Amino acid sequence: MKAYKFLAGDGTGSFSRHCWTLGEWVEADVDPCRAGVHACRPSDLPYWLGPALYEIELDGEIVETGLKVVASRGRLTRCISAWDDEAREAYSQMCIARAAELATSAADRLAKWAPPPTASAGGPALLGFIAARIAEELGGLDAYVDERARQADWLVDRLALT
Amino acid sequence: MPEPLGIHEHGYTCREIVDLAAEYVEGTLTANESTLFELHLNFCDGCLTFIDQIRDTARLAAHVAEHELPEPLRADLLQAFRDWTRA
Amino acid sequence: MTGADTEARVAGDDSALVARLRDGDERAFEEVVRSFYPSMLAVARGYTRTHAVADEVVQEAWVGVIKGLNRFEGRSSLRTWVLQIVANIARTRAVREARSVPFSTFDLDADQGEPAVEPERFRGPDDPYPGHWRSYPTDWRTLPEQRLVSTETLELVKHAIEELPESQKIVITLRDVVGCSAVEVCDALGVTAENQRVLLHRARARVRARLERHLDA
Repeated sequence: MKAYKFLAGDGTGSFSRHCWTLGEWVEADVDPCRAGVHACRPSDLPYWLGPALYEIELDGEIVETGLKVVASRGRLTRCISAWDDEAREAYSQMCIARAAELATSAADRLAKWAPPPTASAGGPALLGFIAARIAEELGGLDAYVDERARQADWLVDRLALT
Repeated sequence: MPEPLGIHEHGYTCREIVDLAAEYVEGTLTANESTLFELHLNFCDGCLTFIDQIRDTARLAAHVAEHELPEPLRADLLQAFRDWTRA
Repeated sequence: MTGADTEARVAGDDSALVARLRDGDERAFEEVVRSFYPSMLAVARGYTRTHAVADEVVQEAWVGVIKGLNRFEGRSSLRTWVLQIVANIARTRAVREARSVPFSTFDLDADQGEPAVEPERFRGPDDPYPGHWRSYPTDWRTLPEQRLVSTETLELVKHAIEELPESQKIVITLRDVVGCSAVEVCDALGVTAENQRVLLHRARARVRARLERHLDA
């Protein structure tokens, strides 16, 4: 199964700190959240944004959960270099624009929620969260999920993921 | 700790994350709680840094010099051991 | 190495060590006495007023261990068994001396609901993001590497641990300084996993706060 994985800038797992090598199979028992190779489907991407993005091939026992996939085997197949500083900044600005659009649509109530353009320093993950939260304030949990789906579509498009 | 509302990462506030940190580091959160916990860490650098700091604190504690066995105690204990083996 | 492998290795080491002790091997005895001293002292210190009395408890415990060596079945690790003996002797002694035991049941009520971080560090209820950080903690990785693992910092950590409330000090010493497992600490001290976790977290949180003040300066 093809999936995606965000890693820290130095190639280690965000939470496991495991050091990944391109092309090398990694094996682990599957215990969702605690053990196993964790990865994203395209719809999961906005939740797990990190500094570096890779395509990953998953094999063995595969468990799909709400916001991620966990497998007993996985290997990084390629680095998605399109996820670079420029892409991250563009994503951040997109989220800031969406946040402003949503916040002002509710008149004064959410005015103080909208981050200014300079807030892109907060990073794509934080800004995506803010935009989705504002959507939720206006339209509930469904609106939150929809906003996240919009963000996923933006990423798939920008990064040319199949 | 009450279950966070909804399925989304913002169910936890940073205050709750900081209190749950012990269980996360020990691996005793449920699968659902762990996912929500990590999702929060993913967008919140403050909490991610806090977790790192807790881990660093534990690592530094491991380097703290342990108490050394005092010589008189060592001698007394060895004598007690000899008495037992000879009995 | 997986956790199971480590446990198997320790169990293997234990049975070899116990065999040597039963044979009267003095080198083995000295090794284990030195190696177990910090953890035995930590447990004893939870019940004694002074370090000197704690040493007496440790000594008494070793007499108990030596006498009971032939009966040790290896159901727990050697260290766990030894620490349980220390705790029992310390408790008995404290009761005999009619002193209140500082933390006979690791009573958490004393510092009930102690937050890991002061509430002022978080946004208030009127903020769009209530409960979130006002300002983020500093990433210690951005500090010059020598600063974090310096002698100065280690001294600070040592003092911070020494100043902790007794129950927190015992748990962090056993878990982090000595390296006992959670299960071992619970077995030795007779506390629940939950209580042990809470005490460890509070201890680490307090030491972290001291470190933060020092490193941010």
